[in-house]
Amino acid sequence: MDSAPCDQADSSLAAFKIIIAGGFGAGKTTLVGAISEVRPLRTEEDLSSASVGYDSLSGVEAKTTTTVAMDFGRITLNQNRVLYLFGTPGQERFWFMWDDLCYGALGAVVLADTRRLADCFASVDYFEKHGLPFVVAINCFDGAPHHDHAEVRAALDLDPRVPAVLCDARKMDSAQQVLITLLEHVLAGRTGEDPGSWPAPAASQVPAPQI
Amino acid sequence: MGAESKWVGRNAGPVVRPYAVTGGRTEPADGEVLDLITVVVQAGPGPTGSDPIEFSPEHRRIVNLCRRPATVADVASDTALPIGVVRVLLADLIQSGRVKVQPQRPAGQQPSTDLLREVLHGLRAL
Repeated sequence: MDSAPCDQADSSLAAFKIIIAGGFGAGKTTLVGAISEVRPLRTEEDLSSASVGYDSLSGVEAKTTTTVAMDFGRITLNQNRVLYLFGTPGQERFWFMWDDLCYGALGAVVLADTRRLADCFASVDYFEKHGLPFVVAINCFDGAPHHDHAEVRAALDLDPRVPAVLCDARKMDSAQQVLITLLEHVLAGRTGEDPGSWPAPAASQVPAPQI
Repeated sequence: MGAESKWVGRNAGPVVRPYAVTGGRTEPADGEVLDLITVVVQAGPGPTGSDPIEFSPEHRRIVNLCRRPATVADVASDTALPIGVVRVLLADLIQSGRVKVQPQRPAGQQPSTDLLREVLHGLRAL
């Protein structure tokens, strides 16, 4: 088969990661909690690089690190295959953490809240620039204005090959479908199919959230 | 490990500044920054009194957690230590031969199509 010779034997533990991005309050924590075993994870970040222009250090000059709690979930696919979900820090000042988080990731989910669509521009830009495959998951909140895919795609100026799906981040099966769509998208890009034959945005496969 | 009773609850927050357990070091001794999903596993016997390096209780806890292969993120979560601290402590253990990195695909390289299909099938079967 086309396995790279470096891939380990089937019996040893293989870990994979998927990034969950999106603006503050877009539902990242909810989605991670809906589909995975959530675990506490924190990181100490150098405040001097994290907070330039944000945090006033006057009077607390000795404090040089700040604690950042991360959304972190684990999905055990089988005994030796574990998928990890990492939520990106919501605040813009933690952009410098993204390279570390996204290193070696399979792909990313950009959660979009149609009330604040602009909040996910930065994530879309980042993944496009770094060539990380991603899907846009439009989280259908109660009371959120109902935009159709075309409007959202146009607003985000999405590449036609990038799937955009509706989801309800609170529901396990909906979160599961988002991740499946991402994996299908990654595989479609991998197997070198003609981009024109990539699966259409899988919206129709996603159970419509009850709004 | 019955004696490992906690004096304070987890919610009390750290009673020791995070990098105190690394002796103030914030960079891994070997300069290698481990990825969050790098798999580490115990190698050789666990720390004993005759170790050339003075292992801290945190080092010992990490070695115990690595009796079965675990990711760096799992170790950080299970020890409730920040990732940066765990990276420093794991580097000590790797340097002393107590823990080794389980060979995976080369850093940054994507998994094979077969492995991706396995992940996809696993997701569908959830």
